[in-house]
Amino acid sequence: MTTAKGKAKSTPISHSLFGAPPAPGEEVVERYSRPVRILHWVNAFTWIVLFITGLFFFVPQFGAAASGGVSGLLHRIAAVIMVGWAVIYFFGSPKAALRGIGEAFKWGAGDIKWLQAAPSYYFFGDEKSMPPQEHMNTGQKLWWLMVLSAGALMIITGALMWFFKGIISADAFLWSAFFHDVGFIALLSFAFLHVYLSALHPKMRGIFWSMWRGTVSARYAESHHKKWYDKVKKGS
Amino acid sequence: MADKAILYDASKCMACRGCQVACKQWNDLHGVSTTNRGTYENPPDLSWDTWIKMEFREVGNNGNLRWLFTRRSCMHCTDAACVTVCPTKALYYHEMGFVAYDKGKCSGCGYCVEACPFDVPRSGSGAITGIRTANKCTLCQDRVTNDMEPACVKTCPTGALQYGDREALLLEGKARVASLGGNATLYGEEELGGLHVLYVLDDSPDVYGLPLDPKVPATSTVWQDVLQPIGWGVAGLAALGLGFNYVIAKRKIEIESEGK
Repeated sequence: MTTAKGKAKSTPISHSLFGAPPAPGEEVVERYSRPVRILHWVNAFTWIVLFITGLFFFVPQFGAAASGGVSGLLHRIAAVIMVGWAVIYFFGSPKAALRGIGEAFKWGAGDIKWLQAAPSYYFFGDEKSMPPQEHMNTGQKLWWLMVLSAGALMIITGALMWFFKGIISADAFLWSAFFHDVGFIALLSFAFLHVYLSALHPKMRGIFWSMWRGTVSARYAESHHKKWYDKVKKGS
Repeated sequence: MADKAILYDASKCMACRGCQVACKQWNDLHGVSTTNRGTYENPPDLSWDTWIKMEFREVGNNGNLRWLFTRRSCMHCTDAACVTVCPTKALYYHEMGFVAYDKGKCSGCGYCVEACPFDVPRSGSGAITGIRTANKCTLCQDRVTNDMEPACVKTCPTGALQYGDREALLLEGKARVASLGGNATLYGEEELGGLHVLYVLDDSPDVYGLPLDPKVPATSTVWQDVLQPIGWGVAGLAALGLGFNYVIAKRKIEIESEGK
């Protein structure tokens, strides 16, 4: 595609990594509001810091990197930013936040069908048997549910180890560390899945940009989130 | 190298606390400011700056009062919970048998403090930032690796503390227990795979405040022996599965676009 500024706009690296965003002029639908996107990226960034500094404690081979306690301090700072920002977001628009949280808990018969149809879609691109989806599809709801529940687990066990060390029993402390590790393993594997399916999967090229710009093409919205798309259409 | 050990004979101890002072002096540990609690026992607890302290017990026995002393310090276990949980391997087994400590590697996580069945390691201040270290007896690693006795042993005036080959001290401890008779016990021969601080006690260990059956907390072994492999397995499978999916899905799409 050549435009007037064609040379200046040769394919940026981000486009070859994540696929191209909707072309200029293509009809788009707003999918993620600005506060949601900021929340997402604050979360993503602090999550990476927490993941790496946590790994230093979890894997003995990386243990040397935890010496001196600096990684522990970074872990604490990242945790405070992550939780703090979520709280700020929540009180900034409690209604939208509650509605968003509620999405994780709306399950129906369509979700079973989606799970059954998903493997042949994600492996072979077979779209026929995928049932129409709401704003979040079943896979996204699974991930969202994981983020909420494992997130709560990490906050509780983390706070116990940080603020209640010496107050709670040694067993309670060690079990907190244990479940912090369980949550870590769960979040890590689901995060692989999340990053892969929302940025790297061959069928999902370009979808990454929805969390960056907030919009998706109407074409994508209709084919992937039919129920939601119809509602948006009716509303506008 | 043959394992070394300390033999503490409670029946010879007069609780002069010279060991406490010698420990602080050699290891350059600060004194702790305390208040009079109406007992000779002082300071009240082990701390980051106090690696050894004598515990005083008054035990009634058929109208007789016995004043019993217990040495509280690292027991240098063969199966040490602190070594198991230490994420940075700052705590490790020395070839001479004791649990050595490299403070430069400490991350300040404090897992050892919670895991130790004898409640020995202590964290320094800095609970909020996490920038701190743990501390505990090192068996005077710098002395014993240079053929010197630990400072506490060196200073002990009554011979209640001895340092030497663990096997020899075991024999000596057993002989002493036999000559004391009664309820006298040798503590540390089998506990946690064998302690490197052996106790000659003139009664059952619980009378001296020692755990009868010390154990490495299950949570500390589960973490490394079960969770670690599961973690690698789950994360590895996830990554493999996704890679596999990528190859198949990509190929499918290529075939489709060729067909068009």
